[in-house]
Amino acid sequence: MKKLIYLLCLTLAVSGLLTSCQKVIDIDVNTSPSQLVIEGNITNIRETQFIKISRSVAYAATNVYPAVSGATVQVTDNVGNTYRFNETATGSGLYSFGPLRGVSGRTYTMRVTVDGQTYTATSVMPTPVRTDSLTLTKITFGSKSRTIVSVNFTDPRNVANQYRFIQYINGRQVNRIYVIDDRLTDGNRIKQDLYFDDDDFETDKLVSGDVARVEIQCIDKPVFTYFFTFRQQSRGGPGGGTTPGNPPSNIDNGALGYFNAHTFQTIDIKIP
Amino acid sequence: MFKHHSIALAVYTNSLLLRAHLTLYMQYTLGRLFCGLIITLCSLSAAAQKKFTLSGTIRDAATGETLIGASVIMQSASGRVGTATNAYGFYSLTGTEGAYNVTISYISYQPIVKTITLSQNTVLNIELKAGSELQEVVVRAGDRKNENVRSPQMGVEQIDMKLLDNIPVLFGEKDVLKTIQLLPGVKSGGEGNTGFFVRGGASDQNLILLDEATVYNSSHLLGFFSTFNADAIKNADLYKGGMPAQYGGRLSSVLDVKMDDGNNKNFAMQGGLGLIASRLKVEGPLIKDKSSFMISARRTYIDFLLKAAPDTAIRGNTLNFYDLNAKVNYKFNDKNTVYLSGYFGQDNIGIKDLFSNNWGNTTGTLRWNHVFNSRLFSNTSLIYNKYSYNIKLLDDVNNFEVKSLIRDFNLKQDFQYFSNKHTLRFGLQGTHHRIAPSDISISGTSSFNNLSIENRYGLETSAYFSDEYLVNEHLTLLYGLRASWFALLGPGTFSTYNTAGDVTSATTYGGGRIAKNYFNLEPRFSASYLFNGENSVKASYNRNTQNIHILSNTGSSSPTDQYVMSSNNIRPEIADQVALGYFKNIKDNTFEFSGEVYYKWMQNQIEYKNAARLIANANVESQLLFGTGRAYGLELYAKKRVGKLNGWISYTLSRTERKFDELNNGNYFPARQDRTHDLALVGIYKLSKRWTLSGNYIYSTGNAVTYPAGKYQIGGTTTYFYTERNANRLPYTSRLDLSATLEGKETGKRFHSSWSFGLYNALNRKNPYSVDFRDVPSDPTRTEAVQTSLFGIIPSVTWNFKF
Repeated sequence: MKKLIYLLCLTLAVSGLLTSCQKVIDIDVNTSPSQLVIEGNITNIRETQFIKISRSVAYAATNVYPAVSGATVQVTDNVGNTYRFNETATGSGLYSFGPLRGVSGRTYTMRVTVDGQTYTATSVMPTPVRTDSLTLTKITFGSKSRTIVSVNFTDPRNVANQYRFIQYINGRQVNRIYVIDDRLTDGNRIKQDLYFDDDDFETDKLVSGDVARVEIQCIDKPVFTYFFTFRQQSRGGPGGGTTPGNPPSNIDNGALGYFNAHTFQTIDIKIP
Repeated sequence: MFKHHSIALAVYTNSLLLRAHLTLYMQYTLGRLFCGLIITLCSLSAAAQKKFTLSGTIRDAATGETLIGASVIMQSASGRVGTATNAYGFYSLTGTEGAYNVTISYISYQPIVKTITLSQNTVLNIELKAGSELQEVVVRAGDRKNENVRSPQMGVEQIDMKLLDNIPVLFGEKDVLKTIQLLPGVKSGGEGNTGFFVRGGASDQNLILLDEATVYNSSHLLGFFSTFNADAIKNADLYKGGMPAQYGGRLSSVLDVKMDDGNNKNFAMQGGLGLIASRLKVEGPLIKDKSSFMISARRTYIDFLLKAAPDTAIRGNTLNFYDLNAKVNYKFNDKNTVYLSGYFGQDNIGIKDLFSNNWGNTTGTLRWNHVFNSRLFSNTSLIYNKYSYNIKLLDDVNNFEVKSLIRDFNLKQDFQYFSNKHTLRFGLQGTHHRIAPSDISISGTSSFNNLSIENRYGLETSAYFSDEYLVNEHLTLLYGLRASWFALLGPGTFSTYNTAGDVTSATTYGGGRIAKNYFNLEPRFSASYLFNGENSVKASYNRNTQNIHILSNTGSSSPTDQYVMSSNNIRPEIADQVALGYFKNIKDNTFEFSGEVYYKWMQNQIEYKNAARLIANANVESQLLFGTGRAYGLELYAKKRVGKLNGWISYTLSRTERKFDELNNGNYFPARQDRTHDLALVGIYKLSKRWTLSGNYIYSTGNAVTYPAGKYQIGGTTTYFYTERNANRLPYTSRLDLSATLEGKETGKRFHSSWSFGLYNALNRKNPYSVDFRDVPSDPTRTEAVQTSLFGIIPSVTWNFKF
């Protein structure tokens, strides 16, 4: 539906009805105390798995996020395994264990202890759904035409599936969240177009010779809800769209971020 | 096929109506009371001794249009009585036998004074001539003066449709919904938007009526234009408080828009060519003085421009909207008149081979005015209205079509009884609703599945009574009561949910069975105390309830807004409002001042959860949060009604807040439309016989929004941390709009034309629409706030004609 509104706005813009313009403004914001941020991923690939712990900063500060060192980090699964994660280098805030391969159907529990406070999250590794190909789709708005990447796969019937896609162009990550579920598309052949935001067209447009890479994840429902909410507020923010709020994390005790046990697949495509 | 469908529906509806009515003893009792009351009232006037009634209809002499709210004053040696014409131009006054001077007046018309001898019940039908500029002084002498001070009605604004010609608007497309946003207590839904908020209410809490039919979506093209083509509109009244008992079903306001009846004297045409759309209206008598018709159409032509584009891809795109208003009436005799009116409007937006989106309203109203006797007036209305949208995605793999609609059948009976000290209104209303939330259908192979969300049916019935009672020359009371009963009907399966949104139980009801019902009593009370002819104090209290809710958390209306009814999960929204006001006229009605304060409590307000899935969701009610709200404010209004320079200043100081357990730690937070200060200045200056200049200036505090209080990194991307909800403000909005109207030369012929030139946002100020945050492109270690503005300076020109 969001896509439709987006198309609608584009149509209006093309017709010159919306003569919108943008400018950078100064604003007054509140300053919140620093929050703990945890980003945990367990994949179904036998590799080193990482959990990153950092802190938030004030809005007006520079984008340097303090790493959290000296945390106790462990992941357990529902068949009795315990994996102790160690900080890769002191002061990095990046904790790793591996090689470790996540198994579909298992429930993973992450336990992080920082300054005596423990943060817990669970995530279920979904059954992988294989993406068979990436294709290119040409969309035309007025005189401008854009090439975008589409992900093609078949959704398994009668199971709720959630997917997350991360797009890279020439190795640089596209600053946009792609998550879908099969609420309205269960059991079908799916062609998911990875749109850009209008703004990103300038920097992220695909031209001949570019290599696009898409990382495909099958994710569980809470992680989907997390990223779905995230995406809802990422555009048309204050004044335009939905009132923004913090996405509902699957980590308890007020930590920001997520713990995501997901399947992993990447495919590259070269723009001819 | 559609016709067949609607007949089937009508039959089905009738059986539903019948069954539901039978189950409700109260309704039956009320019905009996009504019959008794009518019989009594019919016989009352016959029994009255030595008192006679003067009644009739007031019309425009040139067009035969009935005049709503015209003043009729009967003056004799012993005293005076006065009244105003009702929605059909009818009035009734009673006095003892004797000689009277009767003064009939109406704003911008030449008053008429008649001398009559009342020795029997008398019918006096009057036609008033429109006044020219020079006669404005005469108009002022008419006795409608001080009506604003005298009437116990508070929080009401009658919008003078002639005013619209001179108020500058976006693209020069005159619009009643944009004009009301310049009044105190009414806030705009957004830049150039027709959505509005009244006294802290949400945009779905406005009851918008077109010839009594509910218009669910009153906007075109994402809200930049309204569905009301000014050409076809006779009159619009906005009630923002002290709601009269005959209206119900929404919390915040009533905008009662009435279409022109059609010129019953002469055949006439008028129209205009504008920047966005052109308009044409044809009206005339079918049978002179008995029957007339009016057809008015408006269509945009942006897509004709698209078709002329050199690029074939642009040529294939669609972007248009149109409106069609039609009305016909037939006057059988002085006692019986029948009106049939309809509205049809649609928006079409599409990109060739990619998608199309159509939405629109259809309304139809059949009315029968019957004068039982000179004191008892009746109106019976049968009303149909529908709002629907249709979205098609034409992509070969991802094709689908979504259809959604909300449809009402409404039967309404209103009575008005006039006696000298009392004007009684009472009536009954029954509305059957059907909501088809989403039907998804696919063709061939598609990544989407066919899906049909169960229809929802509801029956809303109400009975009301009100009395405007002239206690003495100082005190007037307007009191009433509205009883409303809402039933959610089967067939359907109705679920309950836990806090996580999972189904905990589900009950299935058969067709016509009541799944859930609510009964509400809504007291309405207003009083005015007149110190002298030019000063009064008014107070009011009213309760309103609402059973149809839109799930939207944005200010502007979207074509895909979802409607839900009160249910086992959703309780009726309730608002209680108290208001106190001081009204003053000075210099013989040249200036009108008013100050009103209000406080409003709102219960069972609705928001939706983060990550809510509203579209095509059978369990949409699991996605909602319920809370309360409060709104209070001060409204100041100063108006100069006559003279070369006229206009008004309106200022509102207000606050509107919501409280939900699940949001903002359960504390009150400002609603998005909570703008502390709102100022509007409107000035119209008659420069010469042919030139009129006008301008309006608005200033308002920015919307309440949520800015980040911190930031962090997720997946290498800057992410924002939010604390208090809506604790920040967008920058203020300020805009100056100008326009100039040049009337064509008076040629003595019937043909008349005028040019309107407009300058929207003449100072080219970049007003905020939204603010987004991003990393500074040239320096990714910093973050910046980016404001999006919609409209810069926009000139417009419109040519209007009339003959």
